[in-house]
Amino acid sequence: MKPPRRPWLLTATAAAITAAFLLPAYWMAATSLKQPDRILVAHPQWVPAPVTTVNYTAAFADGALARALANSLVISCGVVLLTLLLAVPLSYALARLRMRGSGTMVLALLIAQLLPSIVLAAPLFILEHRVGLDNTYLGLIAADTTLTLPFAVIVLRPLLQGVPVELEEAALVDGCGRPGVLLRVVLPVMVPGLIAVAGLSFLLGWGEFIFGLTLAKRPEVQPVTVVLNSFVGAYGTSWGPLMATATIVSLPVVCLFAVLQRFVVGGLTAGSVRA
Amino acid sequence: MRPGRPGDTGPHAARRRRTGYLFSFPGLAFLALLLAYPLLYNAWISVHDVGLSGLLGGPEPFNGLANYRATAADPAFWHAVRLSAVFTAGSLLFQFTLGFALALLFARPFPLNGLLRSLLLMAWLLPPVVSGTLFKWMLDGDSGAYNALLRSTGMGALSHDWLNDPATALGGVILANVWVGVPFNMLLLLVGLHGIDPELHEAAALDGANAWQRFRRITLPLMRPVSVTVLLLGLIYTFKVFDLVFVMTGGGPVDATDVLSLYVYQVFFTSFRFGRGAAAGLLLLAVPLLAAALYVRRLRREAREGEAA
Repeated sequence: MKPPRRPWLLTATAAAITAAFLLPAYWMAATSLKQPDRILVAHPQWVPAPVTTVNYTAAFADGALARALANSLVISCGVVLLTLLLAVPLSYALARLRMRGSGTMVLALLIAQLLPSIVLAAPLFILEHRVGLDNTYLGLIAADTTLTLPFAVIVLRPLLQGVPVELEEAALVDGCGRPGVLLRVVLPVMVPGLIAVAGLSFLLGWGEFIFGLTLAKRPEVQPVTVVLNSFVGAYGTSWGPLMATATIVSLPVVCLFAVLQRFVVGGLTAGSVRA
Repeated sequence: MRPGRPGDTGPHAARRRRTGYLFSFPGLAFLALLLAYPLLYNAWISVHDVGLSGLLGGPEPFNGLANYRATAADPAFWHAVRLSAVFTAGSLLFQFTLGFALALLFARPFPLNGLLRSLLLMAWLLPPVVSGTLFKWMLDGDSGAYNALLRSTGMGALSHDWLNDPATALGGVILANVWVGVPFNMLLLLVGLHGIDPELHEAAALDGANAWQRFRRITLPLMRPVSVTVLLLGLIYTFKVFDLVFVMTGGGPVDATDVLSLYVYQVFFTSFRFGRGAAAGLLLLAVPLLAAALYVRRLRREAREGEAA
């Protein structure tokens, strides 16, 4: 397409649309910084003045939020680890080592990432209870990984197919075993894909709600999404602390996305339009 | 000398297969235990009479299609099906058209294009629980930002307790879901737009076609395959939405937003009717699976055409 005549006009239009679109996110942050008596009013202020942190203090007051944040951090990191640990060898096998049924496998994975979580949460609730995995980090990490693993393999497999076979064979001749080849030759080439998968797995684990709601009844392991939801029920109209909590939950997402943007966007589009 | 060298075919191929199975074993075992087995178990529960006692190891007699019959006889189930249909259709309509419009805008080069696009994507990446809480507050009857906007622009008569009125609650939930879905639609449609050869537009412009004609005759027809894929994906993702609705309304007021995923949750996790919940869950699965089959067929065809081209 030829460059438009007035590019800044387009920029202004796009900026106005973006601002209007992101109003809810702005409103969340703005509310969290307002004094409590300036929130529940018919004509709210558009810019918080004076800025206050009392809502944040209130949100952290009883310790539940801090514990939930720690739980979510543990769960998300666990999801990243387990996903990478399982996805790297599996994608490698599916990409390289022409096994029987690997085409069907990829198809099954593609469909697996489209399943409604609630349909999986129901039987997992009974099964995890029977083996004592409910109310544990491991139970939640394993459940969340059913969402990330199919996605990770779909993103990583094409990348692995792009690694030249000659490179690997040269290493094999030099006396590396298959695991050695994977570790020293293949892994470095696929770093961008790994970053995308790690970043997205973390985001998925951080934002996951259904498994947290159904598989973790005890506050000791409940993720922050579940606690935020219970805050909504418990402090119906205390929007200040609620928005402070929502802002805190959003912050890691925003930061991670800002840092890993390039990788994450590539991974997102690859995961949904490629097979 | 090592056996695994390029060139020695026989034992080499066998060895490669062995390594392949070895490498894929942990991942496949995991998927079998945590994905395939639970789904099969779900199907098993759906033809058995399983309740809370089943959780404690009590008897679970086979009851054939009784759970399915009970579900089909439940008016609340059909109500949920209708709500899911409206929710999905409404969300798709708006998030696709708005996403398409934004994609057309962002397909043109202008300063800060990348930055603004990334900012829009934020809405999609926020955890659904956060977006739900956010829109519950935006749509609040007394002090919500939307009502304040209406009041400050002289349309105060329209201000409304959106989520607490059965007539508008579903609309409010759709609004939030459209907000989440627009950036994703834009992103995928943008990929499609970038795939259109700019020379087509230039040639048409030389022949005197105006912008609207070029859009109708070039952009729209060429975007059809991508659009169908995006709509199918949207259908799959929208039909299964749970967290957003759960946080915003919990299915209420009364049952005004009780979409199918929430219905399954209530039967299974609130009433502890595991058999019936599992049956309803399998029915919830039917629509996305059908859409997924179409989606996969399209992907395969695109891949074949891609190779042929």
